[in-house]
Amino acid sequence: MTKKILLVEDEKMLGEMYRDKFIQAGGFEVILTETAEEGIKAARKEKPDLILLDILLPRINGIGFMQWLKKEKELSSIPVIAFSNYDDPKTKKEAVELGIKDYLIKTNYTPQEIVDKVKSYLKN
Amino acid sequence: MVFPVFHLPIIIIASLFVLFLGVLVFLKEKRSATNKFFLFLALSIFLWIITLYISDYPPFASQALFWNRATVGIGFLMGVFLLYLVLVFPAKRISISPFWKIFLAIGGIISILCLFTNFVVKDVEFYPWGTNIIDGKLFFLSVFWSILNMGAGIWVGVSKLKKSIGLEKTQFKFLIAGILLFFITGLTFNMILPTITGTNEYAKYGSYFTLLYIIPIAAGIIKYRLFDIKVILTEIFTVIVGLILFIQAIVAPSLPMKVLNTGIFLLFCLFGYFLVKSVIREVELRQEVEKLSQAKSEFISIASHQLRTPLTAVKGYISMILEGTYDQLAEKQVRSLENVYQSNERLIRLVNDLLNLSRLDAGKIEFSPELISLEEMVPDIIEELRINAEKKGLYIKMVKLPEPLPKIMVDQDKLRQVILNIVDNAIKYTKEGGVTFELKKLDEQEEIKVSDTGEGMDEGELNSLFQMFSRATAGTQLHAEGAGLGLYVARQFIEMHGGKIWAESPGKGKGSTFYIQLPIRLNPKLLKTKTRTITKSPDDIF
Repeated sequence: MTKKILLVEDEKMLGEMYRDKFIQAGGFEVILTETAEEGIKAARKEKPDLILLDILLPRINGIGFMQWLKKEKELSSIPVIAFSNYDDPKTKKEAVELGIKDYLIKTNYTPQEIVDKVKSYLKN
Repeated sequence: MVFPVFHLPIIIIASLFVLFLGVLVFLKEKRSATNKFFLFLALSIFLWIITLYISDYPPFASQALFWNRATVGIGFLMGVFLLYLVLVFPAKRISISPFWKIFLAIGGIISILCLFTNFVVKDVEFYPWGTNIIDGKLFFLSVFWSILNMGAGIWVGVSKLKKSIGLEKTQFKFLIAGILLFFITGLTFNMILPTITGTNEYAKYGSYFTLLYIIPIAAGIIKYRLFDIKVILTEIFTVIVGLILFIQAIVAPSLPMKVLNTGIFLLFCLFGYFLVKSVIREVELRQEVEKLSQAKSEFISIASHQLRTPLTAVKGYISMILEGTYDQLAEKQVRSLENVYQSNERLIRLVNDLLNLSRLDAGKIEFSPELISLEEMVPDIIEELRINAEKKGLYIKMVKLPEPLPKIMVDQDKLRQVILNIVDNAIKYTKEGGVTFELKKLDEQEEIKVSDTGEGMDEGELNSLFQMFSRATAGTQLHAEGAGLGLYVARQFIEMHGGKIWAESPGKGKGSTFYIQLPIRLNPKLLKTKTRTITKSPDDIF
């Protein structure tokens, strides 16, 4: 069964790279958005199985996105994996408190490893 | 009537301190609804302490009923203001739902009923220790509302606490602690003690404990960092000593003593003013330093983010090309791209090391231990490194354990970085042979032993191996890679666990062995504070 992934990534180049990898891996439908606002709209419309969330985003950041997600009853149970190159302990702590499943540093993972992580979270 | 001699001074100290705190919090941010409601709460507590005292010592017996009704009525108002405060906190504007408005209005009505009717307080009785109220028809209903009011306060506080993050979370913890203490003291002096003793004799001592809950609430509102405990204690000390000196000046038996005591009081006021001011200045300076440190840390995080973004794209695309995502490559192309990939990995590690180093330099680094099994963790890392080792024609293996190891508390990310660093070095400096892992349980530690068949090191190199910008000569002879940061960071990470890391080598050309020892039982102090400050000595740097 195809799994729907919402990818919120403002770096177009990286967003397209991860989207290509998920599509190539098979079994995924990827919705790519560049801002938290677009991500919020897409989550409401598409009800994804998992959200891959960048943290440093223009205007509303990943933490703001999570705060909003927590308030929406229908969407609050969607697993969210934060993936960012912003490695700030305070932000990490805030993200964990808001219920993210994992906080991945992008440079430490290849796209294939990210796909594997997503698969393992979707299994659980 | 007989009262303890200390009763009046304590009442004066407590009431004035509550008033002082109320005004202080209000003046910090006059326009904030939260601060305004704190002032209302403090004023109601101040009035309650005064009326409670007068109700036991009414100037005329005919006024006893009025003062007792005022005490109970203002007591209900305290509850109303406290709930108001929790509902508004930490907002600057009032935004309360109609439900809570009705709930709070009921509290206000009960308070008015107390003051002007006999529904709650019917009459008073006189005893040697003071006065006792006779319950009215609605007394128990009002007590029920009071308990409901406190329960609602705690419930709202805890719900907001769950949704809050960062500093706001700490503020809510202070606020909830204050409400709980308010609830406990109220329950003890107005319900439990009267039930046990059958009289209200001890209710008056409830006013002694007002500081117990008003201080944490104030600390929560003004943000506990700004309202440093050191400042609070200095202020309490100054106010208490000042009040004692003031009372001494007033009650002095002769005029010369009055003049002398007044002089001492005024001198102390001057001294107290400078004392509190200097403590506040010291705290402000510390906060400034913390702010600067935070700004530096954020700058480093942003800078490393900017550096990592293009590295991620290079890593991602090359890995996808190598995996055949776009097309199959010729062997020559694969080899070239693998070299680009490895160089990029080295840059990524360098950025990671620099980031860790800057955090160590700032004296703060996150430490998040969790219960893990080394037997499960180490093979995963070996698998991760196997491709690199095999590409160089080296083996990488783990010696099987004779018995299972117990799980231990480890910051997984940090230990992973340490092991990756050691093995990466081992592979880099080994021409033939390979790397062997051994896990062992010692008395109070678990040991990870990593042996390689590489270049080996002499004593001088071993001694300077874990210091910053230091590499063994093998590093300069064979490959000029890395900046010698990795092992320094590794040592800091292991020491953070209360563990040890060191290397041994029989000499040049005879390989090296790295040892990591981690305590089976992590020091509880390390568990309590997830963020730990690392103090460096000059030896660590050079």
